[in-house]
Amino acid sequence: MSETAVALRSVAKNFPNGIEALRATDLSIAEGSFVSLVGPSGCGKSTLLRLIAGLLAPTTGTIERHDDRMGFVFQDPTLMPWATALENVALPLRLNGGTDDSSARHALQRLGLDGFAGAYPHQLSGGMQMRVSIARATVTSPRLLLMDEPFAALDEFTRFRLNDDLRALWQKHGWTVVFVTHSVQEAVFLSQRVIVMSPRPGGIVADMRIDLPQERRNDFRLSHTFIDQCACVSTSLHAATAAQDSAA
Amino acid sequence: MRAAGKVILPFLFGALLLIIWEVAIRLNHIPQFILPAPSAIAISLWKDGPDLLRNLSVTVEVTLVALLLATITGVAIAVALAQWPLAERTFFPYAVFIQVTPIVTIAPFIIIWVENIFVVLLILAWMAAVFPIISNTLLGLKSASANLRELFRLYRASRWQTLRRLLIPTALPYFLGGLRISGGLALIGTVVAEMVAGTSGAQSGLASRLLEASYRLELPRAMACFVLLSATGLILYWALKVLSHRLLRHWHESARGIEN
Repeated sequence: MSETAVALRSVAKNFPNGIEALRATDLSIAEGSFVSLVGPSGCGKSTLLRLIAGLLAPTTGTIERHDDRMGFVFQDPTLMPWATALENVALPLRLNGGTDDSSARHALQRLGLDGFAGAYPHQLSGGMQMRVSIARATVTSPRLLLMDEPFAALDEFTRFRLNDDLRALWQKHGWTVVFVTHSVQEAVFLSQRVIVMSPRPGGIVADMRIDLPQERRNDFRLSHTFIDQCACVSTSLHAATAAQDSAA
Repeated sequence: MRAAGKVILPFLFGALLLIIWEVAIRLNHIPQFILPAPSAIAISLWKDGPDLLRNLSVTVEVTLVALLLATITGVAIAVALAQWPLAERTFFPYAVFIQVTPIVTIAPFIIIWVENIFVVLLILAWMAAVFPIISNTLLGLKSASANLRELFRLYRASRWQTLRRLLIPTALPYFLGGLRISGGLALIGTVVAEMVAGTSGAQSGLASRLLEASYRLELPRAMACFVLLSATGLILYWALKVLSHRLLRHWHESARGIEN
């Protein structure tokens, strides 16, 4: 019914040092969906994300993207310390030969950073730096937004605020989001679909649809339906890890 | 109070040393051609001032031109080496060779090959100054964050865009650190070159005057040259430090602390 934004067919990745980072994986992500990849460190979720971005080439298999316009958000804000917030956000436009900053200003506004265009990264809090990073990733109106544990280093309060804002932006703009996290709660709160991965070698062990209302307010995190879904994902994550441990 | 102490304490210490020096010379009747008193050096500075300053201007001119050339060539070489790893492996050992060779040992050859004394001094001062700029800038060009590099790749930045917008800004603090070292080395290189080149010519630089005065046992004059050269080194260091601070104050850790 809906278009496929990203399709992976038997994609595997081995690193030159012999580590099998990702075993042959098939994955199809629908246009406009919010998908989270959850798993312990070393399960290949960041590798999978970088394969989708084209930052890594697969050892075997093929990756198809419906649209090449994408944004990438790293775990650190990854801002240029010598450039202002506005200049950082405008970077993708500049690299594309653009000189007009109006969409960069607009992207900053969208992330609630109206008054901070001229601020340098060191003058901003961790949460605000991450907002600049998201503004930069979305300034080119991408169809696909790839996020690699973007909120892992933030305090819980800031993380909840950013979760809320990210969900609202996604609903408004209809991006396809692939979101890597090691937090089950974060994955369930944000996503329509949670993919559980396990390590050695990395691969998908569960693919779960999250049946929760689209409208998710802050107190929703305390509701039974939310906690039940989290428990469900946790169980599958633990089962996968336990199976790994007994095999090893 | 603390700011005042920063200036006053070293000043008082220096003044104390000078007084002890002066008194010791007078009490022990040490002759001027062994060790002149500070007052004798001051008198010489005043009396020979115009002549010494004319010679100093030659030294300063060589130093600054050599530093400028070292900056231009050093940065160009570092950029080339950073862009082509094969070039780095091929040529970097020769940069090290220039660095570790004492310029005094090369000076006689340069003097034979090159007729113009100004050019001789320039070549030797350049050789003394260029290495810190090459090696620091090269280190800086390679220090860009891995994630930012990936970001540039993701947006298909050209080699030139990556250089201009990522590598050069990253390298700037490293380059400025190298420049500060090279400033001092350029002056040292110029002085050594002048001494090796000898005392020929009326205005061949202050180091030549220093050497000439010491041959004639005019130690107050020789020491006046020494004082002027040290002051030049200090001013050069301070100027490069201010330049570095101006360029980095908006964002770099090294410059942010100084403001408050």
